[in-house]
Amino acid sequence: MAGAKSASVLCMDVGFSMSNSAPGEEPPFELAKKVIQKFVQRQVFAETKDELALVLFGTDSTKNSLDQDGQYQNITVHRNLMIPDFELLEEIEHQVHPESHQADWLDALVVCMDLLQTETKGKKCDRLNISLLTDLNTRASSEQIDVIIENLKQAGITLQFFLPFPVEDDEESGRDADRGSPGHPGMGKGLSEEQKSSVDIVKHIMLNLDEENGLDEIYSFRNAIEQLCMFKRIERRPMAWPCQLTIGSCLPIRIVGYKAVTEEKLKKSWTTVDAQSNKKDDVKRETVYCLDDDNETEVEKDDTIQGFRYGSDIVPFSKVDQEQMKYKHDGKCFAVLGFAKQHTVRRHQFMGTQVIKVFSGKDDEHAGVALSALIRALDELNMVAIVRYAYDRRSNPQVGAAFPCIKKDHECLIYVQLPFMEDLRQFTFPSLENNKKFTPSDTQLSAVDSLIDSMMLLEEDDNGDQKDMFKVHHIPNPAFQRHFQCLHHRAVSPSTPLPPMEPWLKAALECPDVIAERCQGPLEEVKRKFPLTEVEKKKKLKTSAQIFGKDSGEPDAKMAKGDEEEDYNLADIAEGSVTSVGSVDPARDFRTLIKKKSLPFGEVCQQLTRRLEQLLSNKNTAYFMKSITCIQAFREQSVKLGDANLYNGYLQSLKTSIPNRGLEVFWDLLVQDAVTLISKDEVKGSTVSKTDADQFLVTEEKKKEAAAPPAEDTGDVDDLLDMM
Amino acid sequence: MAEWNAYYRNEDDEEEQEEGEQSGGDYKITGRDSLVFLVDASKEMFIKGEDGQPSNFDMTMQVVRSVYASKIISSHRDLMALVFYGTEQSKDPSKSFKHVYVYHDLDEPGAKRVQEVDALRGGKGAQLAAETMGSGETSLGDALWCCANLYSDIKLRLSHKRLMIFTCRDKPHEGDSVKDRQARTKSGDLKETGVIIDLMHLMKPDGFDVAPFFRDIISPPEDESELGLQLEPCDKLEDLQKRVRAKEQKKRAQARLHLCLGEGINVAVGIYATAVTARKPAPIRLYRETNEPVRSKTRTFHTQTGSLLLPSEIKKSQVYGKKQIVMEKDEVDAIKKFEDPGMFLIGFKPMERLKRHHHIRPAAFIYPEEDEVKGSACLFSALLTKCHERNVFALCRCVSRRNYPPRFVALVPQKEEVDEGKVQISPSGFHVIYLPYADDMRTLDPPQCPTASQRQVDKMKEIVSKLRFKYRSDAFENPVIQQQYRNLEALALDMMAPEDTEDLIMPKVDQMDQRLGPLVQEFKDLVYPADYNPEGKPAAKRKTADTGGGAEKKPKVEVPEDELRAHVQNGTLGKLTVPVLKEACKKFGVHTTGTKKQELIDALVDQLGQ
Repeated sequence: MAGAKSASVLCMDVGFSMSNSAPGEEPPFELAKKVIQKFVQRQVFAETKDELALVLFGTDSTKNSLDQDGQYQNITVHRNLMIPDFELLEEIEHQVHPESHQADWLDALVVCMDLLQTETKGKKCDRLNISLLTDLNTRASSEQIDVIIENLKQAGITLQFFLPFPVEDDEESGRDADRGSPGHPGMGKGLSEEQKSSVDIVKHIMLNLDEENGLDEIYSFRNAIEQLCMFKRIERRPMAWPCQLTIGSCLPIRIVGYKAVTEEKLKKSWTTVDAQSNKKDDVKRETVYCLDDDNETEVEKDDTIQGFRYGSDIVPFSKVDQEQMKYKHDGKCFAVLGFAKQHTVRRHQFMGTQVIKVFSGKDDEHAGVALSALIRALDELNMVAIVRYAYDRRSNPQVGAAFPCIKKDHECLIYVQLPFMEDLRQFTFPSLENNKKFTPSDTQLSAVDSLIDSMMLLEEDDNGDQKDMFKVHHIPNPAFQRHFQCLHHRAVSPSTPLPPMEPWLKAALECPDVIAERCQGPLEEVKRKFPLTEVEKKKKLKTSAQIFGKDSGEPDAKMAKGDEEEDYNLADIAEGSVTSVGSVDPARDFRTLIKKKSLPFGEVCQQLTRRLEQLLSNKNTAYFMKSITCIQAFREQSVKLGDANLYNGYLQSLKTSIPNRGLEVFWDLLVQDAVTLISKDEVKGSTVSKTDADQFLVTEEKKKEAAAPPAEDTGDVDDLLDMM
Repeated sequence: MAEWNAYYRNEDDEEEQEEGEQSGGDYKITGRDSLVFLVDASKEMFIKGEDGQPSNFDMTMQVVRSVYASKIISSHRDLMALVFYGTEQSKDPSKSFKHVYVYHDLDEPGAKRVQEVDALRGGKGAQLAAETMGSGETSLGDALWCCANLYSDIKLRLSHKRLMIFTCRDKPHEGDSVKDRQARTKSGDLKETGVIIDLMHLMKPDGFDVAPFFRDIISPPEDESELGLQLEPCDKLEDLQKRVRAKEQKKRAQARLHLCLGEGINVAVGIYATAVTARKPAPIRLYRETNEPVRSKTRTFHTQTGSLLLPSEIKKSQVYGKKQIVMEKDEVDAIKKFEDPGMFLIGFKPMERLKRHHHIRPAAFIYPEEDEVKGSACLFSALLTKCHERNVFALCRCVSRRNYPPRFVALVPQKEEVDEGKVQISPSGFHVIYLPYADDMRTLDPPQCPTASQRQVDKMKEIVSKLRFKYRSDAFENPVIQQQYRNLEALALDMMAPEDTEDLIMPKVDQMDQRLGPLVQEFKDLVYPADYNPEGKPAAKRKTADTGGGAEKKPKVEVPEDELRAHVQNGTLGKLTVPVLKEACKKFGVHTTGTKKQELIDALVDQLGQ
């Protein structure tokens, strides 16, 4: 793969017959143009070093290096071999038109061969290819054909044909080769004489180049477009990681590891540019440091040092010290710690972001045998090697598992990282099994059963083998596809909005049609058997994302962050969720509820008095203080609402119960704070006069001396509550 | 000023965000977690167990210490407190409670606190406890009230509040009904403010009966199964540790989504990260003079005018095929959006279709959210039962957050597993295994290798059997992180040298050699020829010695003019080497100031491109 680079020539027929088409069908010219556009697009976005040339034939003019003595006429080398770019795409878009001449496609092929040979001289190319797009509607002179084949073979040039119609292997299909499959678009009224003879020549060439699979390199335009609509998948050259697998101190085996699976990222990232000039250099980002004071005093970077948090402590710890004190190890390593049963290493415990395949050292058959012995031993015992893995001296060592993997054509170990103790979060969840509320009935279970039946993604093929209908690892990453689609669109039509998602991409992410259809019935059944009701949230705490909605322009992912440091006001937050008078801050709850008016006044008062009685039964100064604030709140709200009866009634009954319950201390506190009855002066509906109200507390004070010794807490407060 | 601030983008925030994505802060509720250890300090707690077993108090202190230490590493922003009750001495911020001793009030745990808890361990610890606190009367009500005050004194938003009572006395007030009632009232208050009260009951000679008193004190278990009450009292440190560990971490859903089985069949689920790679903490910048942390601000401004750039004055660009492609910032975000968040069922596959090597990131876990959609738990449970029974997994398309492109995931059924002590080892739910796309699979060219003979394999089997051990996922500590924290601990506490860490992922070579004995040599004799050195490199590819060093004059490098022009035209100059380009510059009399490749190329293009 090293330095792999290819050179290819796209050779397109633009002659007049290419514009002919049956009614309602796209002319072959348009289809061929699409094929080369898609192909060039892929090359541009894949950013390979591969080079491309474009040769047109059937052009009105002639421009090629073989143009002599009326030979090789109407063939134009539009672009020499070079790395494709958007310029080429634009040229294809705007400069490649159907023209009115015809040229011999074999002549065009010769021009392409000549171009490839001269322009790749001195370059290292491991693949030379010519793609010919034509309807074969010109007479080809077949005299030179054997020379051409010989030359192709010698130069190692491969050929691909793209035709408006499919070409079949006549022996295999047993059908009339000339007719192809009936009804294929592009066939029109069948093939002309020229086309028939040309097809024979094409077959002759292809089978001569590759007896077995030559015909596989003949495509129809439609097939090609379908295959090319996908942007090239990102390919990276696997990097070999040579190391030694060690078991104890004296059993080393030379190995080489390759990253086999890892989440691929786009190679390029976005750069920030000035909106006016589109220039990167016009924008500069700068980071400044400032103290956390009111003025946000800026400090120089040089005046800062590195530190770390150790819980609540902040420890200055310079880079140098850190480097010196940090954990050091011997570097590259793949050392077996021991062997464990495979089932003890669970799939969901896999950590890290990659899978490494480990083969034996290059060109070392002894290592190969030794590793094979280990792989087979593990496989036969159903065991796995637990290993210490370190990529190199600079990287952190890991603990991981090496599983045996035996395939038809190769054996290897598959290494995956395993968790450290620090990585694990032991969450406990309520059991689903022991909970009767959630246990599904038998009919419910059978509904799910038939759903699973209908949605199995495996189907049996003709050989009775199970075929997977939905292989995720064959789907190109839709994010990349969409990314390139949009980039391409913006590049060719800069001022238009971004296009919708391509239908094929959407379809590729959906459930296969067969399944979607098959599961309709069972799904309906599940819907019937399992009632699902969305719970209306009384009042969800809104995240900023919900408040600002989509207009905030910030992707939601960023919203997950908490604003932890924000000083908060308990009342503000709790207000939304108060539904009854709680015991923590009953006075506040009481006020909130009254304000919200969600419950009738009487009801709220009753809740408050119930709390009051609870508080008072504890006979403790702190509880008394709380009770007083409650009574004060009761009074304040009653006055506000102009309803004194409930309050006055409660206070009076409370007073009478004081001696019985031994609450004199509490009463004294009430007297101190002068919390008395609500008088007529304050609320019109009150039956208590101002003097009575004042008197209410005073008389009690006098009486107090004579009060009987407090009886033990009766705990019976029902009579008080009944009054409400 | 506020507007000015809006132009800044804080880099630290962004980093934290990254972290947040992984550790998965709760989507809706944010705030700090808090945990109060309320420990009985009565005489009974100090009674040593049989055969020199540590006392209940000692055990508790060990657990508290380990939780402190692990919190410092995993979530240093959580708040912790340590309060003793049933003490002789009293200490609390409000000075209004007797026989309650607030050893640590609610704060982030630090090095000093770890040390202070350490001081209470062992025989000396018991002595210290007796001297500073002593044992006296018990009023759990006062203790709970005191804890409530700790919570209410915190001005930060608390998202999760937990209180753990460690005691071996099932009747703390010995029948005093007033005190009992007070404790009940107070625990009610606490529970109402969202504090979850757990009981870590410890062994005492005649057994611990939860029913008469503590049943009313503690929070009911989530699943109403009374599982919590059936637990036997702990008599082993490990058990206690496990039990505390299981409760101490707040489950936080990374996201709450709908698992959509089909049109209108939406099961509400929460996604949880059960394993997250712990990293060394990121450094923070301190002001040299005062050691106080500084904040970093990043601003974007125009190079020429020097004015700050508004988001609307910035665009994003990429260059492909020599063309600059420019998009608005929100277009860049919009490209990533495929659909609203959710999991969409595609179908089912047998478990063996889930390939082991299809792994790209750690798994997550889903559990139904009955609070969001009623009936979720039942359907989820049915799906779980059936998938488990039929040994299939569900394949879903998953968009975990808004503007995230879709990923496919395998939902692997997990049945609940409990250990002998009825402590849950694995909860019931589905593991979410992320699957790779075609782009994520790399094409390898597997080397052809000979396979081993059965004799060789059998010998290796003997070796493998000798080195068997039982793998436990929590058996290995990360030496890198441990070392970093030991260093910080040493610096924070002015210790002479950091405590030694044991590298648990280092092979115990000597023991292995000993166990294997002659097996290694026997195996080597079977697979390696006598003259083979498995540690040596294979015959070196390039022998530098033969060429006689670099004394030879470099061959003159020259490219014909037309080829060079062709390169300029095709934009392929980059393929030539620097010496060749330099030579070319000389030849065409191009003056270059730089020696970098790009500078040479630019100079040549300027000269020849005209």
